[in-house]
Amino acid sequence: MLNAELITALLVIGGAFLALLRAVKGPTTFDRVLAVNVFGTKTVVLLALLGYIGDRTGFLDIAVLYALVNFLGTIALLKFVETRRLG
Amino acid sequence: MSDPVLLINVLLLLLAIGAALAAMWTRDLLGAVMLMGIYSLLLAIEWANLFAMDVSYTEAAVGAGASTILLLTALTRTGTREKAGPNFHPTALLTVLVTGAVLIYGTSDLPRFGDPLAPATVHVAPEYITQTVGKVGATEATENDFGDHVPNAVTAVLASYRGYDTMFETAVIFTAGVCVIIILRPLAGSARRRTAGSKEDA
Amino acid sequence: MLEYVADALMILGGFFAFSGSLGILRLPDFYSRLHPSGTSDTLGQLLILGGLSLKVIFDSSGDGLSVGKLVAISLLLFVTTPASTHAISRVAQLSGLKPWTGADSKEADFSQKEEDTNE
Repeated sequence: MLNAELITALLVIGGAFLALLRAVKGPTTFDRVLAVNVFGTKTVVLLALLGYIGDRTGFLDIAVLYALVNFLGTIALLKFVETRRLG
Repeated sequence: MSDPVLLINVLLLLLAIGAALAAMWTRDLLGAVMLMGIYSLLLAIEWANLFAMDVSYTEAAVGAGASTILLLTALTRTGTREKAGPNFHPTALLTVLVTGAVLIYGTSDLPRFGDPLAPATVHVAPEYITQTVGKVGATEATENDFGDHVPNAVTAVLASYRGYDTMFETAVIFTAGVCVIIILRPLAGSARRRTAGSKEDA
Repeated sequence: MLEYVADALMILGGFFAFSGSLGILRLPDFYSRLHPSGTSDTLGQLLILGGLSLKVIFDSSGDGLSVGKLVAISLLLFVTTPASTHAISRVAQLSGLKPWTGADSKEADFSQKEEDTNE
């Protein structure tokens, strides 16, 4: 019942919760960007784990997409923080 | 506990509610944008868990990627602090409550999930399935919309029956690509300017 | 045998993922929070996705495409996580965020509070 995938998934969800707390607390903008970035990594790993638990390979495609979008989103946020404008 | 996916679903939904509430309460608009990004990430996992893969793709690309960039573009025109004042709007609360009640009332008329006698399963789905599945490599010439060329039922529905829908989804993905180019193109130049400026300051 | 190796890898990776987030929540200062983000997270995802790949390989239903995707995700995260951590720290340093040294903790507390109210 309680196999390794499930334990790992629960640990990753716990880590995502802690990262969410840091994103809520701040205090600086960079802490929030860092927390969002970590949360994105956790999400990608969680998607892969859920795909294995539910035996659905389609999850992996979403995980690949997320790994890319998360990086671009972080860069966009940083660009906004640094220059206060985009483009 | 019996179903691990259900347990994980409940935990993720609790996290999503927490992220949405935090995005509502915070006065820092930049932080709210980031929390909305987290909320989109969680919802995309939920969509995938509900077997809605295309919605999950769209949530991942648009919700977490493109709409973050749109909101940031809006923030460049305004400030990043919310105006101080009362945080409670009775009219908005009433509207949301009424809309939610109507939607929940509407779900009571929906067929159960996976009901074999639901209209969607009885009317359209058998037609699609008989036209696609089992016709791969058919020797005799049959009358269907694809000329026996589409092996996958989902691909057949997406590319033929819902062609316009797919076309505009492609437009959405194109927009996301344009956003990527807009973000990444001038990054090197502005960073260099910034570094040069700070060196002059020092 | 290899099943247990995969299980151990995944649980170890889960431990790293959790403890990295714990560090991000508990450490006192932005620059110290960079450490769990950059290192624990990269190692955690590497171990978890590696364990998953092993499991998929030794499953009866295991297929090469899934393993390839898992390896691709792992490599992608292996490159992007340190890169984004570096980018965040660089922008923080360029925008003048001072590291907390502990020597002038009163002043640091004050600046932290000020950051809290008018960020």
